Amino acid sequence: MSLNTDFMVKVAQTAIQGVPVTLQIVLVALLISLPIGVLFALIRIYRIKGLELIVKFYVSLVRGTPIIAQILIVYSAFPSLLNMMIGKAAFSINPIYYAYIVFTLNSIATLTEVFRSALQTVDKGQMEAGLMVGMQPRQAFWRIILPQALISALPNIANATLYLIKNSSLAFIMSVKDITAIAKTEAAFNYNFLEAYLVVWVYYLIICYGAEIIFNLLERYFSKYRRSAKRTTGFNWNPFSIKQPKLVVKTDLAESERTNNAHN
Amino acid sequence: MLTIEGLKKGYEGNEILKGISIDVNKGDVISIIGPSGSGKTTLLRTITTLEAADGGHITFAGVDKDFEKLNGKDINTIRRNVGFVFQNYNLFNNKTALQNITEGLIVARKVKKSEAEKIALDALERVGLSDRKNHYPSQLSGGQQQRVGIARAIALNPEVIFFDEPTSALDPELVGEVLKVMQDLANSGTTMVVVTHQMSFARDVSNRVIFMADGHIVEQGDPKKIFENPSEERTKKFLTDILANV
Repeated sequence: MSLNTDFMVKVAQTAIQGVPVTLQIVLVALLISLPIGVLFALIRIYRIKGLELIVKFYVSLVRGTPIIAQILIVYSAFPSLLNMMIGKAAFSINPIYYAYIVFTLNSIATLTEVFRSALQTVDKGQMEAGLMVGMQPRQAFWRIILPQALISALPNIANATLYLIKNSSLAFIMSVKDITAIAKTEAAFNYNFLEAYLVVWVYYLIICYGAEIIFNLLERYFSKYRRSAKRTTGFNWNPFSIKQPKLVVKTDLAESERTNNAHN
Repeated sequence: MLTIEGLKKGYEGNEILKGISIDVNKGDVISIIGPSGSGKTTLLRTITTLEAADGGHITFAGVDKDFEKLNGKDINTIRRNVGFVFQNYNLFNNKTALQNITEGLIVARKVKKSEAEKIALDALERVGLSDRKNHYPSQLSGGQQQRVGIARAIALNPEVIFFDEPTSALDPELVGEVLKVMQDLANSGTTMVVVTHQMSFARDVSNRVIFMADGHIVEQGDPKKIFENPSEERTKKFLTDILANV
């Protein structure tokens, strides 16, 4: 079996038109769901009566159903609903809007949980210190709590984003012309499925890798106030150096050395 | 200047403060001592409205009300006139030493940024940390963090500064630098209420010592008298226990 490389180049050229579509879906879903996720997380943390229950139910509902089922439901429910309200025009709506809806609703649930855990990692003393220098709770939240929570949420937001990018490939079900949809169409014409899917594979890999780099940079930039990772011993996060640092314990310290070291 | 009468506070039916009355005058340095669980920290937290009290009366900074009747405005007034130094420092982790101090001035007091920085630098100078102004809390030792915490409180120029066991979380060799700063403050006439386990501070720096146990003030008065000739059996026992370990 040999790969039809000419065809792969051709698919790569046509499928690249799907890249902006994929990115659009991801960005719209992220931008809308980030603030709503924070809001929902706050509702859960402060246990706001009534609303808390709704948020809880919503999160379970989304997390407990496969995304493909959500897509199918939204894609069959919304057009007929809109048809009742605005008539035939409902069927000429660009299906990308349905993709926005599904993936936003989906990300909100994920990010609510991400922010809930992140906000809880910020010590409540930070809020108290803010109050004691005369800030209003709202001011302390925006200036002290949220910036810290966002940073501890970053790795999980990155995770959610990567899932979102990959899940967006399911948008082809709603006849959105994203990378996957374009490649599938090309493949169906020529029966070169493997080639087309390999191209899709590479595109998603590149996009995800790009997202990873962006999040790494964000993390590095925003966590400048944290102790640098180099100083920690024990777990070595760098996957390429398998060697663990060797820990040496000096037991024959002189008294003066002991006190000197204690300052660090 | 600050008068508290009959302050009560409980958690889930468990009474922590059973009617505390204290009087703080300008320039006072008051040490509150007592066994753990006696309500010292809760006392500071209820006076500063970090926790809601169940009963009692406060007269402070123009507020003259029962604790239950404090409204948002009163709470703001009280908070703006007190400083608080926390046991575990509670510096804003995402701000530098300097920003930790300017934050309250700029956001809550509406001081101009340039002026706030000047005030903050002065405050850092007073705690001997002007060379650390751009360090983040994670880059400072415990003692340095607590000194920034103190600088943050004095920069706001409050009527009274509350210290909640300011040295309890510190390594023993770092306690001295913080106590030194507090002593300087006391000598410069700052009104301070200090919950402490540092008996030397209570004895040598404060002008009044309050001994608390089980939610009551057992005894208060001149440090010399409390330490050398306590009139209550409970105080005597506490001091013997604690001084045996020094």
